[in-house]
Amino acid sequence: MASRFWTQGDSETEEEESDYEDEVEDGVGAGESATVTAGSRYLQGNASDSDDSDGQKRVVRSAKDKRYEEMTTTIDQMKNAMKINDWVSLQESFDKINKQLEKVMRVTESEKVPTLYIRALVMLEDFLAQALANKDAKKKMSPSNAKALNSMKQKLKKNNRQYEDLINKYRENPEVEGESDELTEEDEESGSEFEEDPSKIAIGSEEDEDEDEDDEGGETSAEGGWEKKMSKKDKLMDRQFMKDPSEITWDTVDKKLKEIVAARGRKGTQRVEQVEQLTFLTRVAKTPAQKLEILFSVVSAQFDVNPSLSGHMPINVWKKCVQNMLVILDILVQYSNIVVDDTVEPEENETQKGADYKGTIRVWGNLVAFLERIDAEFFKSLQCIDPHTREYVERLRDEPMFFALAQNVQDYLERVGDFKAAAKVALKRVELVYYKPQEVYDAMRNLAEHTDGENLDGEEPKMPQESSRGPPAFVVTPELLPRKPTFPESSRTLMDILVSLIYKYGDERTKARAMLCDIYHHAILDEFSTSRDLLLMSHLQDSIQHMDISTQILFNRAMAQLGLCAFRVGLVAEGHACLSELFSGGRVKELLAQGVSQSRYHEKTPEQERLERRRQMPYHMHINLELLEAVHLICAMLLEVPNMAANSHDAKRKVMSKTFRRLLEVSERQTFTAPPENVRDHVLAATRALSKGDFQKSFEVISSLDVWKLLRNRESVLEMLQAKIKEEALRTYLFTYSSSYDSLSLDWLTKMFDLSDTQIHSIVSKMMITEELRAGWDQPTRCILFHDVEHTRLQALAFHLTEKLSILAESNERAIEAKTGGTGGLDGLPLRRRDGQDYAAVGGRWQDNNLSFSQTRQQSGGTARSGYNTVGGTGRAFGPGQASRDRVGQSRGTGSGGGYPGGYQSTRYQDTAYGGGGLGRTPYQTAATRGSQMDASTRMVSLNRGART
Amino acid sequence: MAKYDLTQRIAPNLDRHLVFPLLEFLQERQLYHDEEILKAKIQLLNNTNMVDYAMDIHKSLYHSEDVPQDMVDRRAEVVARLKALEEAAAPLVSFLQNPNAVLELRADKQYNLQMLSDRYQIGPEQIEALYQYAKFQFECGNYSGAADYLYQYRALCTNSERSLSALWGKLAAEILMQNWDIALEELNRLKEIIDSKSSASPITQVQNRIWLMHWSLFIFFNHDNGRTQIIDLFNQDKYLNAIQTNAPHLLRYLATAFIVNKRRRPQFKDFIRVIQQEQQSYKDPITEFLACVYVNYDFDRAQKKMRECEEVILNDPFLGKRVEEGNFSAVPLRDEFLENARLFIFETYCRIHQRIDMGVLAEKLNLNYDEAERWIVNLIRTSKLEAKIDSNSGTIVMEPNYPNVYEQLIDHTKALSGRTYKLVSQLLEHAQAQTAR
Repeated sequence: MASRFWTQGDSETEEEESDYEDEVEDGVGAGESATVTAGSRYLQGNASDSDDSDGQKRVVRSAKDKRYEEMTTTIDQMKNAMKINDWVSLQESFDKINKQLEKVMRVTESEKVPTLYIRALVMLEDFLAQALANKDAKKKMSPSNAKALNSMKQKLKKNNRQYEDLINKYRENPEVEGESDELTEEDEESGSEFEEDPSKIAIGSEEDEDEDEDDEGGETSAEGGWEKKMSKKDKLMDRQFMKDPSEITWDTVDKKLKEIVAARGRKGTQRVEQVEQLTFLTRVAKTPAQKLEILFSVVSAQFDVNPSLSGHMPINVWKKCVQNMLVILDILVQYSNIVVDDTVEPEENETQKGADYKGTIRVWGNLVAFLERIDAEFFKSLQCIDPHTREYVERLRDEPMFFALAQNVQDYLERVGDFKAAAKVALKRVELVYYKPQEVYDAMRNLAEHTDGENLDGEEPKMPQESSRGPPAFVVTPELLPRKPTFPESSRTLMDILVSLIYKYGDERTKARAMLCDIYHHAILDEFSTSRDLLLMSHLQDSIQHMDISTQILFNRAMAQLGLCAFRVGLVAEGHACLSELFSGGRVKELLAQGVSQSRYHEKTPEQERLERRRQMPYHMHINLELLEAVHLICAMLLEVPNMAANSHDAKRKVMSKTFRRLLEVSERQTFTAPPENVRDHVLAATRALSKGDFQKSFEVISSLDVWKLLRNRESVLEMLQAKIKEEALRTYLFTYSSSYDSLSLDWLTKMFDLSDTQIHSIVSKMMITEELRAGWDQPTRCILFHDVEHTRLQALAFHLTEKLSILAESNERAIEAKTGGTGGLDGLPLRRRDGQDYAAVGGRWQDNNLSFSQTRQQSGGTARSGYNTVGGTGRAFGPGQASRDRVGQSRGTGSGGGYPGGYQSTRYQDTAYGGGGLGRTPYQTAATRGSQMDASTRMVSLNRGART
Repeated sequence: MAKYDLTQRIAPNLDRHLVFPLLEFLQERQLYHDEEILKAKIQLLNNTNMVDYAMDIHKSLYHSEDVPQDMVDRRAEVVARLKALEEAAAPLVSFLQNPNAVLELRADKQYNLQMLSDRYQIGPEQIEALYQYAKFQFECGNYSGAADYLYQYRALCTNSERSLSALWGKLAAEILMQNWDIALEELNRLKEIIDSKSSASPITQVQNRIWLMHWSLFIFFNHDNGRTQIIDLFNQDKYLNAIQTNAPHLLRYLATAFIVNKRRRPQFKDFIRVIQQEQQSYKDPITEFLACVYVNYDFDRAQKKMRECEEVILNDPFLGKRVEEGNFSAVPLRDEFLENARLFIFETYCRIHQRIDMGVLAEKLNLNYDEAERWIVNLIRTSKLEAKIDSNSGTIVMEPNYPNVYEQLIDHTKALSGRTYKLVSQLLEHAQAQTAR
């Protein structure tokens, strides 16, 4: 069977065999296959063909005869060719007979190779030997003939190896061929050749071969000879190992290993089989170091099992791979003098040093790379498996297994002192934990402690069984390391331990990812301020667009989670700031890698689609999109409704959430409003109610959403939401109807909005202070007295006129600027003027703020940023919601507008992705315009103005 | 009231010796048991060379004349080391004590070094010894000596790192000697060095700033101008950031400074925002008071907080400094604080009210009716408040002031003519340039 590595699958027999092989591998093989011992599988893959034979129907006899006849004619042809020494035709006939053999085999459906064929082989072999011996004749041959001879020689050797026993038997006693055939057959099937001593023969024939080689001299293709020799030995060695452990030396194992490894990646190499061969070798390894070396090859061979990028490694292979890694670690722990290194090529015989060798032994390998690969395979398998099946759940249960491995690797690396690598491994562990809330974490812990323990126990007895079938391993590795992961009580503790290790030793990317995971995890635990501080202090928002896409996705996820967290703790403005950018492009799914959304503007190439698919998050890591949308829209509603009411006369000004406005406009255009169906409808219905000040209805509609059941502290969140809605309803009411009242009693408001005195007092006072509401308290009577500051028509028109005038002046300036090339003394001026002009429209408090504002304006670009950039520059970009109302304060901490330039970067990843794909279409918003939006909301306003005129 | 005590959070950022005044204060205020404080003192002293002092405390703590052997041993050791250092530094010290010799020193450091080594055989070793000697003196509690030596050392030292720690030492010594003016100078010098050192890692910079701020508390709350200067220092972006990241408890001092300083309005608004942000990480009655008045507009709670603030101030080693005048002791800061806090409440209260009942107001201001009336009349007279008292109904009526519409219009258009003029002149200039070409 080993020949398969060398014959490039040219004979179909082999492929067929391998099919069977696979079947056995998958455990699908019918009843009998169970009896095929592991040993035999390694030795005689072809023997297993017989397993399935019995159950099948026999074909009519005549067909069989016909095949035999064909074969006989071919043999006759061969004989003729031999006579005239025509190797070309001989070669053709040989191929033909092989094909016929296959047919015959199929027809007879037996493993028994017809004696006819064997006889032909013997004949050929003899003739070949003769021809080779006759060097003069060979020299005289025509080139094509000589070539044919050489290739024939090789082919024959390869081919004959399969039937070696038969041939030998035939040579011994050609008379009783039939009988002996039968005998060998059985031998092969049982897989234990104890009746004979094949090793003897094997060695004999091997020597023959060697002699042959010597005879040949160097002029024939040396490589072919070498290959043959090796492959011939291949099978024999396996047998040797089976037979006589004491004869195996380090050299033989090493040679064999090299040979198998050399076959890796070649066309026709059976990957699964290679793994098995190597696994077998681990058992016969002579020294721990060698075993380690072989194990590394096993693991990498296992990675090769799945060749495609999109598919995932078979799960059972994955599991074995994990087990192998654990064994590797066991060895490393047991023999602490063995060093794993991938920077220097170890010496040739490094692994020869035995267990008692005291110095350091270097073995080539990279634990971290293997671990990362295993993790990637795990991730991929979760991506591929349909999340709604039982399989997915089963797969998830393997997580503790990986976790245990990672833990052990990390421990080992820490012990060895390779903290950089340990940090990488720690990151893998972090990435397994960060998205789990405490409940899920507990579940995983339980699983690891209980069920998984059984699971592993269940597997363990199997392992010794398997190995007991084969010869006992030379290097016995006791299980030194725990096979179960250990988890601290709370996920936070675990995160803290891992993350602090990473912050200390990790490289930039590792640190950034760990930081994002940390932020995410804090956000899950409702620790908003901590995670906000982490985000701001790490300056990740500034640098995220330079990172790789998967980190950008992680960033988006962290932002989304932060937004949810802000909402849960009742910080509506912050929540909105976090989420609005995610939603602004309408591509949430893509940004969070939770599905591919179809975009109208881009036709994606298959290549891009494949890339995107590879980035997807496994289902169990998803952030619920409906919840996210609900939270975003509700936040937007709570901010936007009173804002719209406050600026009812000038709707274009100060838009908080463009997305929300757009939705609202669309819904207003509808003639009939249907009862709400999806999240969006619900929020819009609530908005309609809220804008009338009807907080009860608004809350009812919103609380009827079923996404709330996804929240852990549902009651408290809804309570918070109700309170917020009431507050905003009150504000909206006051904004909308203040002009109709001269005074409003506090008691009446309390009754109307179901809020306490102090709350209402506080809210209304705040509005008065910020001059949103022109009113004052009448303390003795507990009333709000509204001041009539409505402008008369004439006044309003006059204001309008001045506004137009300043716009005119502005456009004049711009025209001149364009003409004169923007030089001259105007440079500093327009900026300032634009401010003035903006605020001219506000009316009232323009003169108070004008000066201070134009100063702060210039700072808000610079200083607010520098706030971030200084150390610990908790720039506190989360300017409280009022920041935009109270402009003077913008010098520190950007206003609500600039609070999170995060989503801005988050959308970047798509841009790069598309750009990279060669499409190069600029996405809807270019970076430049967005940048200006972020910088200061004021600039945006002034640009709009400019556009309108 | 011990829960508002910040000693534990402040102490780690101070020099050992600087903690003593705090402990003394705590002992005086009786916030903790005497024993605890004495023990803490001994612990502090363990790593200093003030062994005699430690022995005294030990005696008073355990009411015995015996002193543990290790203290006695340590004393001998300290004395021996002092001798050794004194000897090492002797040449330089004797040089510096000779007024004639000192006159030879010039402003040029290199020259001085050259001169010393040529004429007095004083090389780098001696200068280094001076530093060690000064440090040792400081640890023995001889602050004035230490300050002098460190001053001299700085004049001769070439190593900038050493020079910096000498400066810290000098600052500590001056603080402990209560030379506030000199200490302030040193403080500013140190601040410049810290700020200009851009090469230092951000973390050390933050740490240095935090130390500096902690140390400066001694100066600012004792120096005459300290209360404005504390705002100047703490409210700088870099320093405020440092406070927010690592030492939010310093907000208390900044808040107090803001309250007692009336002229700091623009910065004050920013500061309110900072307090709002830091609510999670730090809270005490003083910051809460500000939050009540300026964020939540909850005047009843502000009232309550104000009373708590008084306690906090009295128990704070920096804020609660007593001034003895004859047999009458007062805490000047408390009075000022309360006065200003009252004003804050009142101001805000008035801004959102049109009519206020005098009785209620008096209650809110912690004054009786007549006092309140007098206070308000004073405010109106000094035109700080645009209001009238309606004594018939016992209310104050505010006069709403909104900007005049016509003023607004004029303001809007005022700039236009200037702009147009400038535009035209520019156009003309341009045209001229064109024709000239």
